[in-house]
Amino acid sequence: MDAVPPLRLRPGAWQRLRRGLFASRVDGLISIVLIGFLLAAALGLAKWALFQAQWAVISANSTLFAVGRYPLEQQWRLWLLTTLLALATGLSWGLLRAFPRSGPPVTLWPRNDRWAVAILVVLAIWRPMALQLALPIQMRWWAITGLLLLARWAAGRWGQAIPQVSRRLVPLIWPLLYLVGMVLISGGLGLVQVAPSEWGGLLLTLLMSSFAILLCFPLGVLLALGRRSELPLLRWGSVLYIEFIRGAPLITLLFLGQNILGFLLPGGMAPDRVWRAAWVLTFFAAAYVAEAVRSGLSAVPAGQLEAARSLGLPLPLALIHVVLPQALRVALPATVGQFITLLQDTTLLSLIGLLDLLGTARTVMANPEFLGKNAEVYLVLAVLFWCCCAALGLGSRALEIRLNPQAQPSR
Amino acid sequence: MAGVFTPWWRNRRLLPWIVQAAVGLLLLVLVAFLVGNLVRNLTAAGLLLSWSWLGNPAGFDISETLLPFDASLPYWRALLAGLVNTLRVVLVGLVGATLLGTLVGTASFSSNALLKRLARIYVELIRNIPLLLQLVFWYFVVFLALPNGTAAIQLPGVVLAKSGLFLGAPELVNGVWQSPLKITVEFGALLTGLVVYTAAFIAEVVRGGVASVPQGQWEAAGSLGFSPLQTLRRIVLPQALRVIVPGLNSQYISLAKNSSLAVACGYTDLYSVAETSLNQSGRAVEVVLILLGAYLVIDLLISAVMNGLNGLVQLRER
Amino acid sequence: MTPSPAVMIEARGVEKWYPNGFHALRGVDLSVEQGEVVVIMGPSGSGKSTFLRTFNALEDFQKGSITVDGITLSDDLRHIDAIRREVGMVFQQFNLFPHLTVLDNLTLAPVLVRKLAKAEVQRRALELLERVGIAEQAHKYPGQLSGGQQQRVAIARSLCMEPRIMLFDEPTSALDPEMVQEVLEVMQGLARDGMTMVVVTHEVRFARQVAHRVVLMDDGEVVEMAPPERFFSNPQHPRSRQFLSQIS
Repeated sequence: MDAVPPLRLRPGAWQRLRRGLFASRVDGLISIVLIGFLLAAALGLAKWALFQAQWAVISANSTLFAVGRYPLEQQWRLWLLTTLLALATGLSWGLLRAFPRSGPPVTLWPRNDRWAVAILVVLAIWRPMALQLALPIQMRWWAITGLLLLARWAAGRWGQAIPQVSRRLVPLIWPLLYLVGMVLISGGLGLVQVAPSEWGGLLLTLLMSSFAILLCFPLGVLLALGRRSELPLLRWGSVLYIEFIRGAPLITLLFLGQNILGFLLPGGMAPDRVWRAAWVLTFFAAAYVAEAVRSGLSAVPAGQLEAARSLGLPLPLALIHVVLPQALRVALPATVGQFITLLQDTTLLSLIGLLDLLGTARTVMANPEFLGKNAEVYLVLAVLFWCCCAALGLGSRALEIRLNPQAQPSR
Repeated sequence: MAGVFTPWWRNRRLLPWIVQAAVGLLLLVLVAFLVGNLVRNLTAAGLLLSWSWLGNPAGFDISETLLPFDASLPYWRALLAGLVNTLRVVLVGLVGATLLGTLVGTASFSSNALLKRLARIYVELIRNIPLLLQLVFWYFVVFLALPNGTAAIQLPGVVLAKSGLFLGAPELVNGVWQSPLKITVEFGALLTGLVVYTAAFIAEVVRGGVASVPQGQWEAAGSLGFSPLQTLRRIVLPQALRVIVPGLNSQYISLAKNSSLAVACGYTDLYSVAETSLNQSGRAVEVVLILLGAYLVIDLLISAVMNGLNGLVQLRER
Repeated sequence: MTPSPAVMIEARGVEKWYPNGFHALRGVDLSVEQGEVVVIMGPSGSGKSTFLRTFNALEDFQKGSITVDGITLSDDLRHIDAIRREVGMVFQQFNLFPHLTVLDNLTLAPVLVRKLAKAEVQRRALELLERVGIAEQAHKYPGQLSGGQQQRVAIARSLCMEPRIMLFDEPTSALDPEMVQEVLEVMQGLARDGMTMVVVTHEVRFARQVAHRVVLMDDGEVVEMAPPERFFSNPQHPRSRQFLSQIS
């Protein structure tokens, strides 16, 4: 009688672990050393975080970190802005889910969304408690998170019912919100003026980066088009600009902006230091975005423009409808990479005396009460930045997949 | 083409020139406006462009410098000392970052799953935290927290203390460490921060380069009896270098520019000295020109060397 | 008495030099009448594609004159745009817009250039897709279609602008052999419907069956011009004989 052939099982988790970590003697040794090292580091970190670190420095200065020296009686405007942002985010998110790229929506809450909701809820409950915020403020955060999720649910549920025309107007919410936000933050239209010198902390960081991101993109596209133009003046002008910017460290350009801009304008008048820095960031990032878009443009075959022209499309329309959409899809990862770098570069504002997140942190630590609490503060800032940048990276990958379902996402 | 008169706004041949002329005129007007204001404002402040102030005594000290310097020496000596400091940290940084980056980059191809995962985590972690934050972290939280005197960390041949990093044969003299080769904590912090940060990006460049070598090369080498490590060194890496060298160029330039953040670590590099010089002398335009020029020259030098390397490394094809 | 058909393309003494000095077109004359199908053949580098592309100003030329549908090609952008509206072009590499659906590929130009209502254009586009045999692919992306299907979409896209002349630049050279026939059939249908066509191709059978005239170009010049029966069976010029021996 023939023996029964042995069952072929998928290697169990233990088998896979052994193969992954202990395939050879050298590998096994490396694994043991690494695991030992990681355990020691993790235990040390946990011990410090739970017993030695004094987190009071964060909770005592949470307002400072969040909005700098923004006048207390005007902060309701910032709460209003945050609420509007939450609503807009929920709406956009829901509509994106309601109209997937191909086919009808599968479920109301796909798996990734469920994770996102869980994270949001945990943050909303844990963070105000960890920061030991007063109860009214805690409740405001719960309300805002709740509104965001409500908007998301409503948009997902009833988004299909919105007529096509109105749906096209939805992306316009964001630029509009930006303008409204600027008014709310700085004043005007009947609201009390709050000078830029009083903006600080996360507010300033986000404001600077969003300003620079929004403006550097069209500028970068124009520069990229100029770089590839056949007209010598435009081409060499763009090259000169891009190479000049790329050869200079950002701090030098910020330095230039702070010190020389006053000399370049009549009467020595110059815009506020905050806006000077914002414009420098914009012009700086535009050069790098231009390079990213340029590689996108060169990835579009010449035949595309020819076909568009031979159909009778004039050059501007051919660029807008045929060439740029394709170029921007290719340039997307590198461009978003630049945006992430821009967000990180706002920390340099602390070196020219502006009170962004890092600058605020340093003034907080200069306070004798909190002297020496560097590790706690820097750790929290590091986590904050990491989350924002990682989120942007994830968003970029999702956008890539959405625009180009067949290609592999990069990065 | 047949000579039919076409008005300029529809003329395919004339239009480009007219557009350029318009743009050129606009730029000219803008530049004239800015420069005019500049000259006027500078004259009013008595700060018209001149270079003679470089010979005036600096009036400030530089905390660490390879060249001898004190407050009575002229500005240009100070700036030169700053430049030397910058070059010092950049050169050592380039070597360190390349070594670490290559290690981490090749680790992502190791057979050890843990090593691969750690390499990935390292890159993702470092890339998403601002460099300045990392620098102040290294300086304030790590290096300045080193113990001093007898409590200093003592390894064979190396002593790590708050007063500095001592290499060679360090010995304790009256409670103060001394040794022939000493590195300040400022330099150490800046170097560590720059190396760790840039290595993450170089790791990605190396990884991309190695990944660009077709799988067939690995298979062929394996079937010829090469071990994975030998394959990497002799077959794959030389081919990967074609892709890696251009990527390294931009990372090296990035490191050179990032060295300007030294001021956050208390290290007196070129930017830091320039900033102090400007505060002392008020000569904004000249100082900025010197700064921009110096970094531009450094970038061009790095590019020139890397382009030469690139020529060596490209495959000679038929 | 039937009126003689209008002359759609009139090229006289066209000469072109590339910036590097290469003399690509050395005084070419061609006259194409309405409803005529002209096939241009020749060895590679003969300038046949270059000549074709001068008709819709994708290539410029230094000497001579070209009149298309009564409009003279000059530096006047308005003339060029007018000509491009009336002349459709089909490329060897299809050049479909990959980020738009097939339907959007067809409707983009009529909506933006002729400023027609989108619904109306979509209706016409679907009819054209029906005519070339791929109406069911209307909502797919070009990347999801085969080469032959893409080229048929390209033809439909040009037809959607309702051109009076169609130019084909080696339309089947980039296709796998089994897909060449479906595209040639579409082109044959167009010829039967009376479209004025100028086709640069190597497909001898197509030329024999559909062309009214075959033009042989070599070295930037027109070597011989004759109806296909005469050209293929009894070529006059020695270079024609040499070319025909090479391709058969």
